Amino acid sequence: MSSKAKGASPGGGDRINSELFTLTYGALVRHLLLDLESPEEVNKQLDKMGQNIGIRLVDDFLAKTNTGRCRNFREAAKTIAETGFRMFLGCSAKVTQIDDKECKMVLSENPLTDFVELPEKLQPLSYCSLLCGVIRGALEQISMKVECEISKDPLKGDERFELHMRLVEYVNEEYPFKDD
Amino acid sequence: MSQRGSVLPPLVDRHILTSKTRNDVGVGAFAFLFSEIVQYSQTRVSNVSELERKLADVGFDVGVRMLELLVHREKAGKRENRILGILSFLHTNVWKNLFGKTADSLERGTSADDEYMISDHDLLVNRFISVPRDMGHLNCGAFAAGIVEGVLKSSGFPARVTAHSVTSEGLSRPKTTILIKFSPEVIERDERLGS
Amino acid sequence: MPRDSTTLTFVIVGEETPIYECEIKAGAKREETVNYLHEFVLHASLDNIDEAIWTTQSCYLKQVDRYYDLTVSAYATSSLVKFLLLHDSKNDDGIRNFFHDIHEYYIKIMLNPFHTPTTKIKSKPFDEKVKLLAQKYLL
Repeated sequence: MSSKAKGASPGGGDRINSELFTLTYGALVRHLLLDLESPEEVNKQLDKMGQNIGIRLVDDFLAKTNTGRCRNFREAAKTIAETGFRMFLGCSAKVTQIDDKECKMVLSENPLTDFVELPEKLQPLSYCSLLCGVIRGALEQISMKVECEISKDPLKGDERFELHMRLVEYVNEEYPFKDD
Repeated sequence: MSQRGSVLPPLVDRHILTSKTRNDVGVGAFAFLFSEIVQYSQTRVSNVSELERKLADVGFDVGVRMLELLVHREKAGKRENRILGILSFLHTNVWKNLFGKTADSLERGTSADDEYMISDHDLLVNRFISVPRDMGHLNCGAFAAGIVEGVLKSSGFPARVTAHSVTSEGLSRPKTTILIKFSPEVIERDERLGS
Repeated sequence: MPRDSTTLTFVIVGEETPIYECEIKAGAKREETVNYLHEFVLHASLDNIDEAIWTTQSCYLKQVDRYYDLTVSAYATSSLVKFLLLHDSKNDDGIRNFFHDIHEYYIKIMLNPFHTPTTKIKSKPFDEKVKLLAQKYLL
């Protein structure tokens, strides 16, 4: 029993008011806290939801962008940063460090957090966990198992929003990688 | 100056109110997020009306905030104190801001004088969700109903708000009608003010 | 010239309970009892405010109550959060501007998903803004 996203390519050229998105996400997080109570549980739930989104989002993305399947971790990371964030969140990300197995990317803006300030008691909350889940779920669909975490979080006082991705393994042996 | 920077200043220092509405988030991002909210909510409820209530609760939070934000941007220092005023604000300002266009109609209910209806022929949230047969009458427009409820309750016009699918001649798909039933004290007060 | 014998008190009320209070200026003779008196006066005004709200489309409600030489001026936001100022001198324009500017800061606070109409406002930056605005318009 599930609802499926349908209709003419949701990932397409239509844009919506970012405030609707920001407020809806905020409401979701607040309600997750009411349901689950512990910030750690909410982090897990957001990550899981992100993963569900990521799995479905890839097809949409590939259909809309003509980028072709990314052949390796580097390409995937660059595509996420240069095209993925722009297409879905209307913001850009910059890859600051990258090699064949790891990368860091910095988001110059983040619509999820526009109106957000974390209260003291919610410091363990990783508000944007959903994004990490999306990236993991999406890359899983193209045979890459990655770990993704928020390495710098402005909601916790850091000076930038930074994601850290690490390739665990290629699921398909067809894509070997070099050990340096 | 952009309200978004890589550093987040304290809320009171952010340029939230002066910045223009940015229509730059992909509709797909919202569709996927909303779809996931529906999926998650299903795991927390035991029937369709509870599911709709949960979706409405999420919408409620959005409505309360949009009210303050929009009123401030469009007529700072003013408040609606009449039913038609707040409904018109919903139909025109809120809808346009959230969904990209004004609602298709605002009507007074025919069966009761405490009822009003706002209809949309192609409600954003219903565009992306296909409801499986066994969920029968689930209407994800409940989220929009929640937004309306949030706007109304917080501005002093408490009402019961529900979303319904209505087939209409000339429309290829059913439209979504948000039915608003005001609390008696709201009707009484409005009549008193009108006289 | 600032008066030094009376208090200027600002309160924000969300759904019946105060969520923010600020003694903008404390007089030299202030005692604990004076503090309770102010709270009483401010809360007693809430009924008057509820009536005033429906008679106007303006957020600024002007003077809604009096207690001896003290006046309560009020303001209601679109989501009916109330700002109350207990004061002893006439300063209509200053008070109106004060309320208007506070309203902007309040909106930024309430957009936060973690803020509800009954959440106490504990933000230091907000507190600083209130004091700055009071300095600008009320003192």
